[in-house]
Amino acid sequence: MRLALAVVSLLVLIGSGVVVYDQFHSRWEDDQRAYFHQALEQAKTPAERASLEGRQPKIEQTIVTAFGDARIDRCESCHIAVDDPRFASAKQPLHSHSYSTAMGDVFRNGRWERRHKFSDFGCTTCHDGQGRGLQVADAHGEDSFWPDPMPGYTIQDGWNREIASHLHGAEYMQANCAQCHSAKDFAGTPLVTRGRELFFKTGCFGCHRIEGLSAGTIGPDLTEVGKERKLDYLWGHIVNPRAYTPTSVMPQFKLSDDDKKALVIFLKSRRGATLSVSTADQFRLNASTTAPVPESVAVVAASAAPAATPAARGEQLIQGYACLSCHKLGDRDGGISPDLTNEGLLRDQPWLMDHFVNPRSRVPDSNMPAFGLPQADFEAMAAYLLTRSTPPAAATPAETFKNECARCHGEKGDGRGVNAIYLDPAPRDLTKAEFMNTKQEARFLASIQNGVPGTSMPPWGKVLNDQQIKGVFDYVWATFVREPHRQLKPRKVPEQNPVPMSADSARRGETIFLQRCTGCHGRKADGRGPNSVDISPRPRNLRNSAFIQGAPDRRLFESVMYGVEGTAMPSWMDYGLSQNDVGDIVNYIRSLNKAGK
Amino acid sequence: MSKEAKSKGKILVDFPTNVVKSIFRNPLPSSDRGRAATSFTNFFLHIQPVRVSRQALRPTYTMGLGLISFFLFVILTVTGILLMFYYVPSTTQAYGRMLDLRSSVAFGVILRNMHRWSAHAMVATVFLHMCRVFFTGSYKPPREFNWNIGVALFLLTLLSSFTGYLLPWDQLAFWAITVGTSIAGYAPFIGKELKFILLGDATVGQEALLRFYVLHVVVLPLVLSLFVAVHFWRIRKDGGLAKPEEAELKPKPAATLAPAEGEPGFVVSTNITAMEVDPVRRFSIQGLVRGPFVKVGKLEEDTVFSWPNLLIAELFVLLLTIVGVLVVSWFFNAPLEQPVNVMHPPNPAKAPWYFLGLQEQVSYSAFWGGIGVPGIELLLLMLLPYFDRSKAGVGRWFARQRILANSLFLVFVIANVILIVIGTFFRGANWQFVSPF
Repeated sequence: MRLALAVVSLLVLIGSGVVVYDQFHSRWEDDQRAYFHQALEQAKTPAERASLEGRQPKIEQTIVTAFGDARIDRCESCHIAVDDPRFASAKQPLHSHSYSTAMGDVFRNGRWERRHKFSDFGCTTCHDGQGRGLQVADAHGEDSFWPDPMPGYTIQDGWNREIASHLHGAEYMQANCAQCHSAKDFAGTPLVTRGRELFFKTGCFGCHRIEGLSAGTIGPDLTEVGKERKLDYLWGHIVNPRAYTPTSVMPQFKLSDDDKKALVIFLKSRRGATLSVSTADQFRLNASTTAPVPESVAVVAASAAPAATPAARGEQLIQGYACLSCHKLGDRDGGISPDLTNEGLLRDQPWLMDHFVNPRSRVPDSNMPAFGLPQADFEAMAAYLLTRSTPPAAATPAETFKNECARCHGEKGDGRGVNAIYLDPAPRDLTKAEFMNTKQEARFLASIQNGVPGTSMPPWGKVLNDQQIKGVFDYVWATFVREPHRQLKPRKVPEQNPVPMSADSARRGETIFLQRCTGCHGRKADGRGPNSVDISPRPRNLRNSAFIQGAPDRRLFESVMYGVEGTAMPSWMDYGLSQNDVGDIVNYIRSLNKAGK
Repeated sequence: MSKEAKSKGKILVDFPTNVVKSIFRNPLPSSDRGRAATSFTNFFLHIQPVRVSRQALRPTYTMGLGLISFFLFVILTVTGILLMFYYVPSTTQAYGRMLDLRSSVAFGVILRNMHRWSAHAMVATVFLHMCRVFFTGSYKPPREFNWNIGVALFLLTLLSSFTGYLLPWDQLAFWAITVGTSIAGYAPFIGKELKFILLGDATVGQEALLRFYVLHVVVLPLVLSLFVAVHFWRIRKDGGLAKPEEAELKPKPAATLAPAEGEPGFVVSTNITAMEVDPVRRFSIQGLVRGPFVKVGKLEEDTVFSWPNLLIAELFVLLLTIVGVLVVSWFFNAPLEQPVNVMHPPNPAKAPWYFLGLQEQVSYSAFWGGIGVPGIELLLLMLLPYFDRSKAGVGRWFARQRILANSLFLVFVIANVILIVIGTFFRGANWQFVSPF
């Protein structure tokens, strides 16, 4: 017992000893002693020497009150030589901060004068990091919880190595320069300027709002994204949006690494109110401009030189602006949205105008933003698209499929074309023989000929003649379905809904719908029920008015009563729904999609 | 002159001894009588019994859990007071003060670590202490009330730890308290008001920080200290730590049990003082003391003097506790996440670990999981000693006679531990079930 007691007492002593010893040994003290020592060697006057000899290490700090919240920067406790020009070639932490005319420093009377004096600006105003820290990891912001690691310099533990390798370099600090130098074309921040340009050029402004710059509503507001996100997230999210948010609809834009860097720096510079504007001024500014016209409108307007005809201006806008970062036109392909090459043959003017003003009025689940440009610009763009009306040269069915269909339906016909994940409803998987073989051939031909309303499938009737359409269909059958045509058994399905439309019927239909259908089609009938995520193809959005209005009663009845082969839709006849029940459901669905809605 | 010098010299000769004597009224004891007197006459020792049963000293019986809890409380008080010198309960300053503690305050890191880890450890040891008391049947009469004091102490410990959780004002703190106080909001009738009184606002903010601070540094420690005092006092008054009835001990030869008259060394504890006070008065004092108290003389063979046996044991536990806390605090830093960002809740936002069982229950049913079930559990815990009145199996771990009660309690403990483990490790974003492996 006594021995144990002695051992434990010893342990307490050792423990306390270690703790106490640790307090009297800090790196910043060593750094300061090294500085005093080296400065002493270089000292010229006795007075200088005497003052250095008397100095003891102490915490050096600058308290910055002029910019935003008060900052306490203790960086100079280690970087004590930061303002001592004799240490220009010394190793960190004793390296002195370089002078540069670009930063506004002036060489006067044989010595440099700083434009941004450390006593006024501190260190973290430009460099970020954690000014209070006295240990490297704390001060440089390596702690993965610290929101502002030193940009371009410090990589936090949790960052993906692959992404982090792109995040080195002093140019990332331009995001901080822009906190005060917020002028649009400030010469010191070329990458912020370039990023801003890309923000408009790649169409980011269509979905995202940045106060004063853009008014998009599809994606998150990016006004303060630089405050909320770190560099690794910004880079990673641009490279692959779905790596962070699996349900994100943001397209994976094709950008070079330099462009990504510029965009990341621009986004990092978006921190809400800038430091050079006080909170009170900012409030006054916000209060005075009730509905600021986003800069995006002016930028787009200015992007095109005056053109002779609307179509010419439309071409400038479309070729020069955001459209082709998603759409395909001729040789240029954003790989995200439908091909516009033959748009003049596929769509007409009213369709285009409706779709420009609000894409969802024609394709309810489209991911295309409403760009909010002036009506005249939309008209010009529509005029240009309508000129794209030269039919492609006649080709074999295989070539036609490859040129026109494969971009969405995939080269293997499996519905997984390059842009398939951005299309909702998804392109049909043409290899599913169960589906293909239980539908009338006439329906497929009609879908190609007239398109499928409410979806991205356009009417090909003006591009391909009947014979070509038949040719493509036969090619699809022979190449992808690879099954003999089956003789369809006649099904007992009414041509017209036998149950007359009435409020009562719709209510009965709603009751059944809520009991049977919501698991997949969702309580709102928008095709987003809890099971929908796991189902391919996704359940139909029954609020897609364009589609529902285009579907005859017969088709709705058949889908509900007999199910849809090759999809998750079961045959509800087998689950006890009578024809009248189905009639009620059809009435309910129709009541959700009344014309004019 | 010479006389004066002589007396001065005498003063000098006596100097250290007379000071020591004035403080310690007894010399280091060498006899049983001295050992008894030492315990009796020292303010800090008189809370201890003069003699203590061997059973109470056996480490495997108590595991020192109650003592560890108390020592952790002492460590928390000391480190807490030191931390108070640096802390400001203001939403604009609190986080900066944490950064200062971490970087530029002497001993700041180790103080904060010790405080944080001791607080977590105390919640655990208090709970384990409760388990020990249950599994040894020590809550049975006459200790029913002390069991209830103990339950109250457990709740106070949880509350102290919970209120302290907010003070660093980082994301972890903010959202844990947001979750924790919304659990309180599920209480029927008073829930909304309770939450409002706790927070002083609709959400966690400056008012909540101030309230939690005052609760944490003044109110709860005071109440806790008071309850600890009563808890200790009742241990003495209820006859020391619970031990098996004599009948339950293995039968011994009758000769040793029977009090032998005039046996040397038979004069113990009360008898020592009794010899120094008036016998009549002694009688009247004992008349005031209603049983049960340590049965002097009867179980002499099973008791030993507190000095030094009990004191060494206590010292050992104290040192062990300090070493444990020091080592853990040296190797593991108390977490400090990013500063509060009201717009960005972490997903999932989790309460402190000891409330994660509750949060897990809340995820099934807000009222029943957060208030109903815990309330019933608490009520049962408090009423337990009044229902379970059989005296069998007291003072032994997992006594066979108590198999039903012990099994039920074990189920209660395991269920709560499982819920906490699920809540801690198996819950991811949106409180979805995830595998930690």
